Amino acid sequence: MTKDLAISVRGLGKRYLRNAGPKHNALRDMLQDKLTTLFTLGLRRKKKDYFWALSEASFDIHKGENVGIIGLNGAGKSTLLKVLSRIVTPTTGEAVINGRLGALLEVGTGFHQELTGRENTYLYGAILGMTRAEVERKFDDIIEFAEIRDFIDTPVKRYSSGMYVRLAFSVAAHLDPDILLLDEVLAVGDAAFQRKCMNFARSLEQKGSTILFVSHNMFSIKTMCQRVIYLQKGKVVFDGPTTEGLKLYEADSRLKETHWFYRDDGEPPITFTDAEIVSKEGVNAGVIDHGERMTFRLRYKTTRRVEKPDVRLSIDREDDLHTMTFSTHTDGAAIACLDGEGELIVTSPPIRLTSDFFTANVAVRERGTGKLLVSQIVGHFHVRDAVYSSTQYGVLHESADWKHEPASAVSTAPTLRVAGS
Amino acid sequence: MNTTVEQALGTGAQRQTIIRPSRGLFDLDLGAVWQYRELLHTLMMRDIQVLYKQAALGAAWAIIQPIFAVAVFTIVFGNFAKMPSDGIPYPIFAFAAVLPWTYFAEATRRAATGLVDDADLVRKVYFPRLIIPLAKVTAPLLDFAIAFCVLLVLMAFYGVVPSIRLLAVIPLILIAGLLALSIGLWLGPINVRFRDVKHTVPFMLQIGMYASPIVYPLSQVPTEWKAFYSLNPMVGVIEGFRWAVFDRGNPDFGALGIGLVVIVVMLVMGLVYFKNQERSFADVI
Repeated sequence: MTKDLAISVRGLGKRYLRNAGPKHNALRDMLQDKLTTLFTLGLRRKKKDYFWALSEASFDIHKGENVGIIGLNGAGKSTLLKVLSRIVTPTTGEAVINGRLGALLEVGTGFHQELTGRENTYLYGAILGMTRAEVERKFDDIIEFAEIRDFIDTPVKRYSSGMYVRLAFSVAAHLDPDILLLDEVLAVGDAAFQRKCMNFARSLEQKGSTILFVSHNMFSIKTMCQRVIYLQKGKVVFDGPTTEGLKLYEADSRLKETHWFYRDDGEPPITFTDAEIVSKEGVNAGVIDHGERMTFRLRYKTTRRVEKPDVRLSIDREDDLHTMTFSTHTDGAAIACLDGEGELIVTSPPIRLTSDFFTANVAVRERGTGKLLVSQIVGHFHVRDAVYSSTQYGVLHESADWKHEPASAVSTAPTLRVAGS
Repeated sequence: MNTTVEQALGTGAQRQTIIRPSRGLFDLDLGAVWQYRELLHTLMMRDIQVLYKQAALGAAWAIIQPIFAVAVFTIVFGNFAKMPSDGIPYPIFAFAAVLPWTYFAEATRRAATGLVDDADLVRKVYFPRLIIPLAKVTAPLLDFAIAFCVLLVLMAFYGVVPSIRLLAVIPLILIAGLLALSIGLWLGPINVRFRDVKHTVPFMLQIGMYASPIVYPLSQVPTEWKAFYSLNPMVGVIEGFRWAVFDRGNPDFGALGIGLVVIVVMLVMGLVYFKNQERSFADVI
């Protein structure tokens, strides 16, 4: 392995036994199982059902590289990080890690509710692999960054969740690892703190740290990583430049159910089979200009009549901020019923969102019961504008009417009514 | 298990970690425990700090428990049952035995359930898992030290003059700790799979208490049973305590020797078992 490699992975795999979890948690269950097997002479014995959460992963990561790991839920992203951070042992393959590795798989794991912020800082530092002397040296920086100086001697159970997360992230951020594994941790805290964390990650990058970053948040991936590894069902299907990888991922995730949609009873009665986002740039081009109207064409198919559906099209910014929703119900476009196949065409008003990345989702609720029938990703797009960026102009931008009246103008303006006079 | 190799690369020494599927039964990697000694210390301190937080009586509980146990024993066994106590006043006779037993019971209980109590850590952070039973076994030593002061007060009250032999309690309590650790190495991984352990440990300890010479002296055990009886390593430890405190007779090296052999065998086998189970903790806990 050459000296400039931070991580070298060869044929890494992790196999799990399916359904091994909740069963056998009590000795009784296991005895019952064994007895059943005995009485049925093993005829009904189930074959061991294995699945590979990660298989045959091979890649090299150079020192100073920032690599994003993307993939749908259950694609093996977290398993990969867990193997690399030595929490779980791989089934096959080998990984070589050069340098001090810090893993942040969950912020605040190991915090003890009864202990004060100060005590927890030392505890969490030790858990992450810092020496006591190191924590002592960085202590002031840590509480400064976390903005909790006044509460440092209060038990963390009295902390607000924001304070809790800030302290935890702050300790972890001061670990100064050569290699940092991050799992979704930036998706915590308020917007201001998130930006602080992103800036911190960037400062680590400038210091030459290697960062491996798992996220659903394409926005952070785009801003932080030059390279992505795209996992699908435990396999590496793409390893290369971020823009290409995200394009692949976006194409794959189109029409996928949104990750928060919980399907309780089999097939939903309605599904969207095709979706197009049309803008001046073309169909599914992924770019619209600020102020442009866009059209969504959604083809659906039902397995039963859906009476009086409330169809909603929502637009989320890629830091998961819910920005706007169109609804057949509130937009005065009531649909009597959806049956069989058809197409919904939604033309938006001029989009005033500031320049950023967005995801459009479509959801159908049954009127009356309010039951969520389906929720799918329509697609991803980028609002383009040279001036109105989300970092400087907020979520949306429309011009206001401005008027300037210098002091001389005020005194000579008899029509101006001054408050209170 | 995972092997860590420190290698000199270029100018400065840099840590290189090689992760691969575990091989070999005896790949114990005890060096990793030493590397993580600061975490051991921190977790031990955490357990000490947490134990009496938000308890009005605080660390007084370390004294209250053994005192009440001894009070009950004195009334029931000393007064009602007229249990012989080798000519020593019954309260202090019992206290000298309750002291190491309370430590042993607490250490065993915590070592057995520690992995599950810290399941969050096991799931989300890497460190040698041996740290957990080690921390659990060492933390109750503080309670022991506090309760030991009560013993000194009792000794003064009953006019027992301490001798140099009293120093023997240090190796003796360490032996009790090793025994608790060796039991924890077995029960901890089992508890990860089967939570039944949590319910089993308290009554096993209850039985163990009567299988040890706590409320009665070793001299009451029939001679033909003594060798078998001494397979319980706490027999040697408790008798050793009485010898150290009351400064009479000779220590029972026979019982202590048998007990030590049992501990060493259980400890070595327990280590191998623990290390081999360790790799699946995060998957099943």
